[in-house]
Amino acid sequence: MGNAVGTYPVNGFKLYFHPEVTPSPYEEPTFDPNLGFAGKRKPRVMVATEEEMRSAKLALEDRDYCAHVLLKFRKCRRDNFPFVVKCEHEKHAYLNCQNDDFLLRAKEYERERRLRVRAVAEQKAQEV
Amino acid sequence: MNLIKPVILHRPWLKANFIYATTVRNHLWTKDYKPGPFPKTEEQRAAAAEKYGLPLSEYASYPDDGGQALGDYPCLPMISAEVKDPYYPWDNPELKRNFNEPMHYQFDLLREDRYNVNARFRKPMWYMLAQCLGAMLSSFGLFWVCDFVKMFHPVTPRQYPKKGAVGLKVRGYGPNQF
Repeated sequence: MGNAVGTYPVNGFKLYFHPEVTPSPYEEPTFDPNLGFAGKRKPRVMVATEEEMRSAKLALEDRDYCAHVLLKFRKCRRDNFPFVVKCEHEKHAYLNCQNDDFLLRAKEYERERRLRVRAVAEQKAQEV
Repeated sequence: MNLIKPVILHRPWLKANFIYATTVRNHLWTKDYKPGPFPKTEEQRAAAAEKYGLPLSEYASYPDDGGQALGDYPCLPMISAEVKDPYYPWDNPELKRNFNEPMHYQFDLLREDRYNVNARFRKPMWYMLAQCLGAMLSSFGLFWVCDFVKMFHPVTPRQYPKKGAVGLKVRGYGPNQF
């Protein structure tokens, strides 16, 4: 994620001038997830159950694939309050989980972008 | 049993022997310090110049307003105290004014703590206008460009296991215009 100051504005210009090859950050991936893989990709596993999240009153936006780590962190905070500094490991685990999640999303984006570039190039080659 | 007897001094006596008093109130009412009527003949002009302590060549009156306010009061050049020489030995250095010097009609405006009518700008007016417009328009131009070009993190929306919950949390991407 280096060179953020240069990358983020350039993304905006790319999306404005080349929308056919630049996925928007609001768009879901459009290609087959297994495209280009020998076998099947491993689907992500949701550890926390709906029941747990509901009883913990977890916000809807927090009910992602890191929810079980967040639940542990919240529980630790509740048990150790006001000495919440004891939960530094739980917090670190949650932030690491979020970072891994972000990395996955960044890879998905880049995969989508490259597949679009390839599709456009193939279409041009067919026209010529 | 009045040990201290008040000394009553009469105004005519005080006026004649003004050395015994710090102030003599000569003006009691508006009509007392109102200037004389507008000078029409050359003799009246000379009398007015004499009255205000000016040589006739420097005396100029304001346009005749029908005896309302200015009358024969001299029309002096408008020079703010701020541009007067601070090293000249003024009789009254606070106001940069000499004793018996005729006062401008708008003297209260020309003091050092008020307005400087003789101020000169550091740059010409068109230059300062161009500076202002340049700064404002370039800021507006940047704003206008960034209205079309939204910067964003190159990532897909957040993934949620539950269907229909996709993209609940979208942080820092600006309005949903895409």
